[in-house]
This record gives sequence, structure tokens and C-alpha cells, in this order.
Amino acid sequence: MTGAGHAETLACPDCDLLQVVPELPLGAKASCARCGRTLATRTADPIERPLALSIAALLVLILANTAPLMGLSVVGQQASTTIVGGAWQMWVQGQELTAVVVAFCAVFAPAAYLLCTLAVLLAARRPPAPRWVGELLRWAEAMQPWSMVEVMMLGILVALIKIAELATVEPDIGMYAVGVLMLLIPAIQSSFDPEAIWKRVTWADDGSPPADGAVQTDGTLNLRSVP
Amino acid sequence: MPIPKRSLTLPDPIDRETLPRATLTPPRRRISAIWLIPLIAAAVAIGIAVNRVMNQGPTITIVFSSAEGVEAGKTFIKYKDVKIGQVTAVELYQEYSKVIVTARIDKHAAGLMVEDANFWVVEPRVTLSGVSGLSTLLAGNYIGFEQGHAQRAGRRFVGLEVPPAVTIDQPGRRFQLKADDMGSLGVGSPLYFRRLQVGQVTAYALADDGKSVSIRVFVNAPYDRFVGTDTRFWNASGVDVSLGAGGLDLRTQSLVSLLIGGIAFESPGFAATSEPAAADSAFPLYGDRTTAMKQPDTIARSYVLYFSESLRGLSVGAPLTLLGLPAGEVTQVGVDLDPVKLAVRGRVEVVAYPERIVARLQTHQSAAGQAIVQSEQATHELFKRLVEERGLRAQLRSGNLLTGQLFVSLDFFPDAGKPDVDWTQALPAIPTVPSTVPDLEAKVTAILAKIDALPFKAIGADLKKVIESLDKTLKDVNKAVNRIDTGLTPELVSTVADLRRALDSADRLIKSTDATLLGEDAPGQIQLRDALEEIAGAARAVRGLSDYLERQPASLIRGKTEKTP
Amino acid sequence: MTTSVLTAARAGLVSCGTCGLLAASASRAAPGHCPRCGAPLAARRRGSVETTWALVIAAAICYIPANLLPVLGTTTLGSTEYDTIMGGVVFLFTSGSWPLALIVLVASVMVPLGKLLALAYLLITVQRGSIASNRERTRLYHLVVFIGRWSMLDVFVDTFTVALVQLSPLMSVQPGAGVVFFAAVVVLTMIAAESFDPRLIWDADTETEPDVA
Repeated sequence: MTGAGHAETLACPDCDLLQVVPELPLGAKASCARCGRTLATRTADPIERPLALSIAALLVLILANTAPLMGLSVVGQQASTTIVGGAWQMWVQGQELTAVVVAFCAVFAPAAYLLCTLAVLLAARRPPAPRWVGELLRWAEAMQPWSMVEVMMLGILVALIKIAELATVEPDIGMYAVGVLMLLIPAIQSSFDPEAIWKRVTWADDGSPPADGAVQTDGTLNLRSVP
Repeated sequence: MPIPKRSLTLPDPIDRETLPRATLTPPRRRISAIWLIPLIAAAVAIGIAVNRVMNQGPTITIVFSSAEGVEAGKTFIKYKDVKIGQVTAVELYQEYSKVIVTARIDKHAAGLMVEDANFWVVEPRVTLSGVSGLSTLLAGNYIGFEQGHAQRAGRRFVGLEVPPAVTIDQPGRRFQLKADDMGSLGVGSPLYFRRLQVGQVTAYALADDGKSVSIRVFVNAPYDRFVGTDTRFWNASGVDVSLGAGGLDLRTQSLVSLLIGGIAFESPGFAATSEPAAADSAFPLYGDRTTAMKQPDTIARSYVLYFSESLRGLSVGAPLTLLGLPAGEVTQVGVDLDPVKLAVRGRVEVVAYPERIVARLQTHQSAAGQAIVQSEQATHELFKRLVEERGLRAQLRSGNLLTGQLFVSLDFFPDAGKPDVDWTQALPAIPTVPSTVPDLEAKVTAILAKIDALPFKAIGADLKKVIESLDKTLKDVNKAVNRIDTGLTPELVSTVADLRRALDSADRLIKSTDATLLGEDAPGQIQLRDALEEIAGAARAVRGLSDYLERQPASLIRGKTEKTP
Repeated sequence: MTTSVLTAARAGLVSCGTCGLLAASASRAAPGHCPRCGAPLAARRRGSVETTWALVIAAAICYIPANLLPVLGTTTLGSTEYDTIMGGVVFLFTSGSWPLALIVLVASVMVPLGKLLALAYLLITVQRGSIASNRERTRLYHLVVFIGRWSMLDVFVDTFTVALVQLSPLMSVQPGAGVVFFAAVVVLTMIAAESFDPRLIWDADTETEPDVA
């Protein structure tokens, strides 16, 4: 698809229909003929752009987790917390499982997603990329639905509004960092093209250099799957 | 936009050779603008990190025996109510006997961390000098700070267990007082000058030999200039009551001193010169005002007296008088045994204070008297001449007939013979004269005999006659009284006047009590009122908050029902 | 329409779940590994229907205590009061913050319930072999996947409220027993959605052999 002059034969992941997807112009999208699900997109700059955004997102993630989210003060008492501090407080209060879930969705999954994506992009800049890149890409895609940064942002805002009714609340650097992260991650996802990466990865079974696909355009099957 | 379905077979390939070639611009290796984003992110992150590091001040440790209410990450260190640092860790220390608090100090306050700076935990406290730290009930304890004056920076401190009574930068002066016991004094006990509170007790300690107590006091400026080298301090706790010719005299410094003790000071008038006392100078603490204001006797001469009569009733401290005026006191009462001559007699040591006599001289004579007293030689000569030429002798006299107490009196007996005194001895022996006390018995017997000899019968008969005539007179007087009742009015008036005078004096007494204890602006009242107001204000604030929270128990989480509490 | 449509399963081909490569399956029973990325190949997600049903039922069981047990306890000056999710919503509504009440109601009460019902509906229609409204059902499936994460909102709100309001003796907040059940509902429904294979919706339409599913 992103390679010049190649059409590819695919089965739709949603309805399993076999179809040919032609070479896509820049920014175009191919959808399934039967169920309409997006099959492929072609993004401009599929390596550089998500790479830059991932680096930025990682820095912002570090900031979001180390800086306090907001400060609260009432009758002279003051308090503030970070994301990890929130999970820690849940643990301390006896809700260990909830603490683990919160830490996973708010810190671990986004961090894993960003790190894997970054590693994949760095390795894929010069094809052929080693085999483990494929593994990391798999992990990144697995972590993606569990990275709930925007849900957390809304959660923080709701908590802030509730507490602000009785105490003076001041948003701090951490909260702004989460907001920026909330914008960066979808940007990475929209500019990231997994197919472009797969094209550059050495094949798993025999280490042969990347090829165009198993099913050739003349209708013959080139390779068989490995048992 | 769905692509139309195609089968697996492709259309015929187009003959590529016949088509013109399109011009190709080779892609330039250009850094895309997208890299601005991570650069900005990196710049912001580094900027924040650097800012944090630069603003971090030093880390200090403070050791307390207990750190009540101190929490890591929450408790602040405040100086003059401004936050200068925060506690980062609280741990046990020294085999669990102490607590070590680690704190991070703000950059702007780093200069305050010198070796002799002091830290203590501020919590609600009710002390002799008032109520403090009430705000910590709601806001949580904090660590108070007092500046030090050292030059060297310090990072490890030992915290105070109680707040310092007086902060270092308060103007004034410290003094040391030495007393036999603490009485009802304590840290914070007030110090008065002319009934004004001008300072307080800051510390006390038992002397090393255990025989006295050393009390440290602090006098605030500008009153510290009234403390001179001659100033007398006395314990003004409680009430000074004296019953004298003018009536009941009630003296107290303030309601506070009544309850918790206090010290007062004054400069007595008899001192010749006095300069302001240097800081940390030592003074004795007297038991009461009278003792304090007593003129000291700096010059003393000791003598020994021998008596052949009973010394029963003569105690140490009994007065030595000259012409009835106080001139000294008895210091020792004992026995002298001469085995050779087989003579036993009483031996009394006395000390004479010539200054007391000189103080009673008239002005034009006092200068001469002072001159004599100052010179030991002159005093000695004078005394010798008085004894030898004028017949100055010592005699035991009865001080109190009922209790049988005796005192030693120096008097002139012109008929006494030439004495044989060895003046070279350290304790010269003054010749004595037997007392007249034994004569008393003989006198009483004589009186009784005389009374016995009175003709009672004759007196009785005369008395009867007198009574009869008196009776008649009284009857006449009665008649007269019944007739002239108006004549009695002047007498009644005077009686009423007497009564009123008595009432007036009682009234004055009540008024003075009022002024000192119960009056509108009595110092005790003001202090009590101030303390009560503070407590009331704090109680009001707590009540308001608790009221609101009671009505809206979880309003903080769920929101308010109405905007006004 | 049914006979002219060729699916990969009918052609003996398998689409790799990871990298999307279309390869020939080594055998029907054991399709083998993807030649490009090495991931194990499967024509359809293994035991999709059973796994999804098990998770949906488990999530439904957890849904009950999640709503009955309190999720938050507020201690003011010594006295503690507990709140369930619905209780919190009602209180927010009556105290005037109705936008917040709406957000919490949708995210914490309606979305999990909706997910459970949608997944159950999808499973039932697949098992009955329904061929109606395939596209709508697929869209429903995507909605379930997309909206699922937003139910975690209340868990985050709880976490940060608890973390911030620890100002005893004035006021402090503790999590209630219901929070962990609520988190369990969200996690279970998310895994359930991932384990459901949407291709099953279309299989009834294409007369695929039953042993592939």
C-alpha cells in the first residue's frame, strides 16, 4: 500500500472479505467493500512524524508523572498529589486491586505504548528492521486500548470541580502535562502507519528481506504459512 | 470512500515504453517542521527541571524527642508565619529513643540556617504567659523557627522541646536571680516594675550544690534601663497583707501573680550611686518587699558577753539594742567552762551594726558619724572609750513577759566600776551587768503584800455609800434624759460620725480591693478578658465550620445545596 | 449475494491478526504461524463465543455490588458518610451541579450496562445465525470497543479525590468497597470486547463451515 506501485490483497479483519487494495495516494484511506471498516491509510511521513511526536510525548509523560497535578488548600491545610500518588493512596487505603488497575491504565500502558512505538520507529528508519521490531509493534498495539490518558484527564477535572466547591484548588504543572499528553497520543496514532513498518521488517520465518506480500497480484500464492 | 470490487485478475498492463517520462524532483533531505514539537517539549521539561533544582534549598535534619503532629510531606517550617521549608521525612533515631526530622528549606531562606538557629514544634499550648498556637488545631502542627546569630551555616540541629519563652531578637536584657526556693514561680511567671508587667521568667535551674535556685529572667526594653546595680528583686507572689495603724493593707501585683506567682523589682532610695546593670548580672531574690528594701549592713563588729544568770529565753537572732534602738543581733548562745576556776557561765556572741545607729543621727551629725563608722579604727576607739569612760554595759532584758523572751541591751551605767577588758582580742568581751529580771519576782511579792494590807472593809463600806449616791444620780439623769432628748442629738451625731468613719474606711478597703482585683481596667481583668476573647473567637470559628459541615456532611464531595452556608 | 462473496476462510487463507498479512493456512485445524511476523495464525479468535460469554456474565455479576456497595466515604470531623454511585449522582443533581451528575451517570451507570447488553445481543444474534443488519451490528461492536474505556472515569475521579482530600481531622475521604467491583466491570467488559470476533457476525451470511468459528 505505501510502497510505490503495489496493490495488496487483504482479508477484512471485520468481515473476512477478500479484496484488493490498490496503491493509495497520500492521505487517502481504503475501506472494506462490504462492511466499510478502514483497511489501510496512507499517512505522509509515517516514520518521522510519529517519531518526533513520540519523543515529545515521552518527555511530557515523565513530566506528568513527576510534577504534582494540583494543589489544594483549606483553613491553612494544604495537599497535592501526583498520578502515582493517587494510585499509592488507593493502595494504602486498602484498595490494592484498584490501585493496580489505575496505575496500569494511567502510567504503565501509555508508557509501554510510547516506548514500544519509539523503539519500533527508531529501528524502522533503516530497513531491514530486525525481527524484534515486529514483537514490539505487537505490544504497542496491545497496549493502545489500555492507555486511558484522556479518561484520566476528565476524571481529574471532575474531581477538581467537586473539590473546588469547598477548598481553593490550583491546577499545577502535572495537570497541564496530562492535557498535552492527551493531545499528543491521538496525534501519534493518526500519523502512525503499521503497514509501513511491516514492510520494512525482516520476515520471521526465514529472515528473508521484506517482500510485497504472500499473495501476488497475478493471483498466485507466493509463500505458504509456516506450520 | 470504498474502492469498487475487483476480481483477482488484473486488467491488461499498459505499455509503459510509449509514455513520456515525467520530471522527477528528487526528495530533499529536509527536517520536517514536526520536530519542533519534541523540541518544545524537551525545552519545557528541562526548563521546569532546572527551575526545580535551582530553587531547591538545603536539606536539614532536626532531632526531637517526640515529633507529635509532624508528617512527612505535609508539615511546614514557618518563620514569622512565612513558610520557609517543608518536612520530607520523619524517622526514629538513636535506637528508637529520638525522632529525626528531615526537611527541605526554601532557597530564599537558606541564609537563615546557621548553627544556633532553633526549631520547635508549635502546637496548642496553655502556659503561664497565655494561650498560644490555637490555629494549629485546625491547620495541623508546624515547626517554628528562631533565628540564630552564628556566622557558620548549620545543617544538623537539635530541636527544642518547648518554645523559647523569649525570642532572640526581642529587645531587652537578661538577668540572673538567686533564691532559696522557687516558691510558686515557673517559666513565664511575670516580672513587675511599679505594677506594670515588664518581663518574665525564662528559665530556672537548681544550683550545683543544691543549696539555691538560679532563676533567669528577661526584662523587655525600654524597662531594662530601670534595673540598676542597686535594684532589689523580691518574690511578689500571692498577697501581701499587713495590719497596721492605718488599717488593713492589701498588696498584690496582679491577679496573675496571685495565681501563678511573680517577681517585682524596685530601686531603693538609700543607694548613693547606681548605674544600669549589665546584662546577665546576678541579683539575690528576696522573700518579700520589706526584706528586699532593707538597708544592708555592711559594717559589723562582733563581741562576746559573759553572763552569770539564766540565758533561758535568749535565742539566736534576738536583738541587740543601744538605748532601746536596734543596733545588732545575737549570733550565738552558749556556755563557757573554766575547769581551773571551776566556773560555769553563759557565753553570748553578738554582732553590732554601727550603721544602724548612724542612720538615726541627725543630718548635721550624720556626716561625722559616717566618717567614724567607715574607719574600723575610729569605731573601735569610740567603743572602747564608751565602755571605759561612760560605763557602757550589756544587760539581759525581758522582751516579752508572757513568752519570757530575752534580748541584749547596751546601756550606760555610770555607777559601774572600771572594767577589765582585753581589747586586743578578736572578740572583745564587753562587761555585763546583771539583769533586773530576777527583781521582778520580789517586786511582785511586795505589791501583793501591799494589796494585802489594804483596808478592804473600810473601802467596801465607802463603796456602798458611793454606789447609793450614784444610784440616786442615775435616777436623776434618767429623768433628765426623758425630758431633754434633744440634748442627746449632738452625741448621737458624733456617734454616727464615728460609725460613718468606720464605714468609710471599710469602703476604702473594698475599693482598693476592687481596683487591684476586680476593677474595670484592673490588669488581672484585662488579661483574663483577652484570654477569654481569644478562646471565644477560636470557638466561634470552629463552631461555624462544624455547623456548616454538619448541615452539609459530605458537601465537599457532593456539592452544596445552597450557595450561602 | 451470499455465494459470490469470497472470504479468506472459504478460500483457505488466513489473515494474520497482528500484521495483516494474508497467507495460506497450513491446515484447517492448525493454520501455523505468520511468515512475516511469527504470530500464531487463527482463522477466527479461539473460542470467541464461550470466552466472551464467560466474561460478560462475570462482568454482570460484578455490576451488582459495584452499584450497591458505596464507592466513597467522607469523614468530616469524625463522622463518616458513605455514598454509592447512584447516590452520588442524585446528590450532584439535587445540589445543582447537573452537568457533573450527567457525566457521571452516563459514564458510570449507563455505559457499562449498555456494553453488557450490546455484547449479549451480539453474542445471541451470532449464535442464532442471524443475517440481518450486519453492518449495524458491526458498528455496534466498534462502539462498544471505543466507548468501553470511558467507564473508567469514576474510578479515576475516586482515586484523585481520595488522594487529595486527606486533611484530618477536618475532612478526609476513603474509597469504598464498591470501587474494586466497578473497576472489575470495566476491565472485564474491555477484555470481553477484545475476545469477541466480529467476523462471526458475517459468517452466517457466507455459509462458512461451522468448525471454523
